[in-house]
Amino acid sequence: MPQHEYIEQHRKRHGERLDAPERKRKKEAREVHRRATFARKVHGLRAKLHNKKRFKEKATMRKTIAMHEEKEARARNDDGANDGAVPAYLLDREGVNRAKILSNSIKQKRAEKAGKWSVPIPKVKPVADDEMFRVQTTGKRKKKSWKRVVTKVTFVDENFTRKPPKYERFIRPSGLRMKKAHVTHPELKATFHLDIIGVKKNPSSSMYTSLGVVTKGTIIEVNVSELGLVTTSGRVVWGKYAQVTNNPELDGCINAVLLV
Amino acid sequence: MPAYNLKQLSPVPTAPELIDIVLLRTQRKTPTVIHPGYKISRIRSFYMRKVKFTQQTISERLGAIVGDFPRLDDVHPFHADLMSVLYDRDHYKLALGQLSTCKKLCESVCRDYVRLLKYGDSLYRCKSLKVAALGRMMTLLKRQKAALAYLEEVRKHIGRLPSLDPTARTLLVCGFPNVGKSSFMNKVTRAEVEVQPYAFTTKSLYVGHMDHRYLRWQVIDTPGILDHELERRNVIEMQAITALAHLPCAVLYFVDVSEQCGYTIEQQAGLYHSIRALFSDKQLVVVANKTDVRGLDELAPERRKLLDDMCAAHASNGPDSDQRAPLIEMSNVTETGITDVKNLACELLLSVRVEKRRSAQGGGRVRDKLNRLVVTQPRATHAKTLTSAVPGTQNGDESRVCIPASVLAARRAARLAAKARRAEEAADRDEAALAAAVETGARLEAVDEVRERAKASRRAAHDLVAEATRSGATAPKPATERDLMWLGGGPGVYSADTSREYLGQLRCDDWASDVVPEIMDGKNVLDFVDPDIVARLAQLDREEAETDEALAEAEALEAESALSPAEAALVKAVRDKKKLDRLKSQNKRTNASVLPRNKLRGRQMDYEGGDGGDAMDTDENEDDDDAARRARKAAVKRGRSLTRRRGDASSDVHMSIDGADEEHTTKKARLRSVSRARSGSRPPPRTDRGFKDDKQKAEATKVGRKMQKKINRLARAGEADRKTGPKLLRWRLEGKMSTGTRRSR
Repeated sequence: MPQHEYIEQHRKRHGERLDAPERKRKKEAREVHRRATFARKVHGLRAKLHNKKRFKEKATMRKTIAMHEEKEARARNDDGANDGAVPAYLLDREGVNRAKILSNSIKQKRAEKAGKWSVPIPKVKPVADDEMFRVQTTGKRKKKSWKRVVTKVTFVDENFTRKPPKYERFIRPSGLRMKKAHVTHPELKATFHLDIIGVKKNPSSSMYTSLGVVTKGTIIEVNVSELGLVTTSGRVVWGKYAQVTNNPELDGCINAVLLV
Repeated sequence: MPAYNLKQLSPVPTAPELIDIVLLRTQRKTPTVIHPGYKISRIRSFYMRKVKFTQQTISERLGAIVGDFPRLDDVHPFHADLMSVLYDRDHYKLALGQLSTCKKLCESVCRDYVRLLKYGDSLYRCKSLKVAALGRMMTLLKRQKAALAYLEEVRKHIGRLPSLDPTARTLLVCGFPNVGKSSFMNKVTRAEVEVQPYAFTTKSLYVGHMDHRYLRWQVIDTPGILDHELERRNVIEMQAITALAHLPCAVLYFVDVSEQCGYTIEQQAGLYHSIRALFSDKQLVVVANKTDVRGLDELAPERRKLLDDMCAAHASNGPDSDQRAPLIEMSNVTETGITDVKNLACELLLSVRVEKRRSAQGGGRVRDKLNRLVVTQPRATHAKTLTSAVPGTQNGDESRVCIPASVLAARRAARLAAKARRAEEAADRDEAALAAAVETGARLEAVDEVRERAKASRRAAHDLVAEATRSGATAPKPATERDLMWLGGGPGVYSADTSREYLGQLRCDDWASDVVPEIMDGKNVLDFVDPDIVARLAQLDREEAETDEALAEAEALEAESALSPAEAALVKAVRDKKKLDRLKSQNKRTNASVLPRNKLRGRQMDYEGGDGGDAMDTDENEDDDDAARRARKAAVKRGRSLTRRRGDASSDVHMSIDGADEEHTTKKARLRSVSRARSGSRPPPRTDRGFKDDKQKAEATKVGRKMQKKINRLARAGEADRKTGPKLLRWRLEGKMSTGTRRSR
């Protein structure tokens, strides 16, 4: 009855077959060819996936190789400058590792760049009415076409009460209503799932604003009480503006950047 | 409680693998072709299907993993504890919980996006939503990387755990490291546990099996336990503790009395007392091991007392353990005491288990079985009748002794024979007395009296012998085949004479040994065996005689009509000729198609001339010629094809005496080559039949082609394609007004 590390134990007791390392070596050598054959043969989605995977593997491989390679970098260290009595021409020697400084500065730059969250989208592509609304024909003969259905995501107040449906001009489908947004705090570099309080401004049209349509570039007000932000006077801030950065109707969610 | 097969959990894919599986499956099992021109409802459902399918696949996969792995609450507490020791209970539960949460989240993502897809108004929007949905699901899966990897490791490890039955009869070996637990295990089972001279060679539980009293026992080898608090025990020790805590078993506590393991007997006793609680309600045997180095009697008295204390401590250990544990000496090296230890432990456990089973539920189970048990005693009806010696006196259904009539007769005959023998002996005695009397010269009257008596007794003996002979007692037994065999030279020499069976069955006994052939003149004799043959033969003879008579009468009449001999000869000749013709025409009949007579003109005819003169011709030569021709024809018919025959015939005629028949030979060769393809014994192919010669056939083919030409040229409908359309077409009738509008009536 095999139990636990039975393979290792068997090897310990009886040894391996004599050509085991040779077989292993051959198997490994063949592996390359096998992979190549597969790469040549594969097509379609699998090829895409495979290539992507291989690309990643190769990239990491290259990095590892580069890491282990000896570099011709000039690394000056402190031990270049001796303590104590030294000749004058050696006094100004300083042990500085230039490469390190360089890399540090690059890192710093990158970090700064990453920290600078792009300011809210300055230019917003206007959304035309015919894209925004779908005409709904009504009436017994379906001849009337004064009703409009909003095709984008909307925010509707909790205490919104419908007009009598017969006279409702704009229909905001309940399936497209959203109440929460993923809001990123640019300084904290963290994203929170926050409640929307209202739509402050839809740059395309004031009518959209009043309807509560959320499109890319819309300024919304979110409830930031979770974040525990405090004003200078010491009061807890609970409402803050944020700009929507994605197309909610395409992505199925609202992503926004907090306006600090 | 669901039954888990811990040995065969299906492999758990890693997170990237799982993503690949799910996406590939979606790609393969859902339709892939969509165009913006399609109806929007179609586009929507196309993408909804993709999203839903992906979610279903994920649920299926994750559900299978979560369902496969055992829930710690559902398995036996021993397994649950072992798993929590080995894999960390919290980690395990967390991993499974994360997977099921992931599954739920995927479902909610699917729900949300399907709802949004219902409002999709373009292919682009639908597609974007689908991409977002799939992306979110895959992100969820990607986050399960650690959980999946962990579960895969657990699966691999679980598969290698020994299959340990917690309810089976179990001996559990425990003690300090290096006290000889694994060696004992190797001695009593075939488990082949590794034995090394360092501590913690055994790092986990090992299971071996052995037989005792024809029952199967499992022996569990545990890793060594050190003497410290439970919290400080490591995973290896904890496995032993788990087994001790949860398995109902007989425990063998090993003590190394030689102290070669590096721990003193005091330390070992200390460990015993610290884990004593685990031995309560169990059968304990304290085994003093390695006695080949130092025996128990060589121990210092205070050390010996430690061991005795251990045994005595067991008595006060729990409600069930009321007696002190036995202490046994044992040595793995010299193999002394191993069997004793094994037997003692097994007996202890077995008695307790049997007792427990008997008293389970207040002994109800045993009583229940006993109530249903009935032991039946068979009645000796046969012996009774035999002893009572009066068959069938008590009641009719009792069995009686049945003695066959032949046996009874034999017995009676034997009795008679004995009687006759006795009578003869008496007669002999009387005659002897008579002789003596005569010799001694007794009185005359006395001699007469004796003589009378002897005569009477001899007569009586004669009668009795006669009667015995009649009743068949003296009749010799018929000789069996075996007797005959011994008479005829014994086995191997004697061969049984089967013809004896026929004796008395045939009309004449001499026939019995005759050889009857099965086949005679190529005929099966049995076909002609007929019991009525003689009668039939007689009838046939009679009929023949009648016919002969009738014939003679007719001849007599004919003789009276008086033809001249020449006329008679002529009549006979005509009749013969007719008969011959009939036979000829019968011979001629074949399966081949019949050719009209005029087409046969070119061929050699059997019947030339066709006038009566030929029939009258009695010339020998003519006859020969005719016969030869007939013979040739017959030969040809059976043998070669017609074409071949013609060629052969012509070559026969010409025999190629001259050298100028070059073209003739080529023609012959051609003909040969034509006929070569087909075996000579077969009739000509169907396409060749019915034609006089090749020329005719070529002509027929030509005409056929010509007829086909028009049809081929038109290349439309052949004869088989003729059809008649419907008489009234629907489009011409439907929707027409009776007065004639809507495109006329």
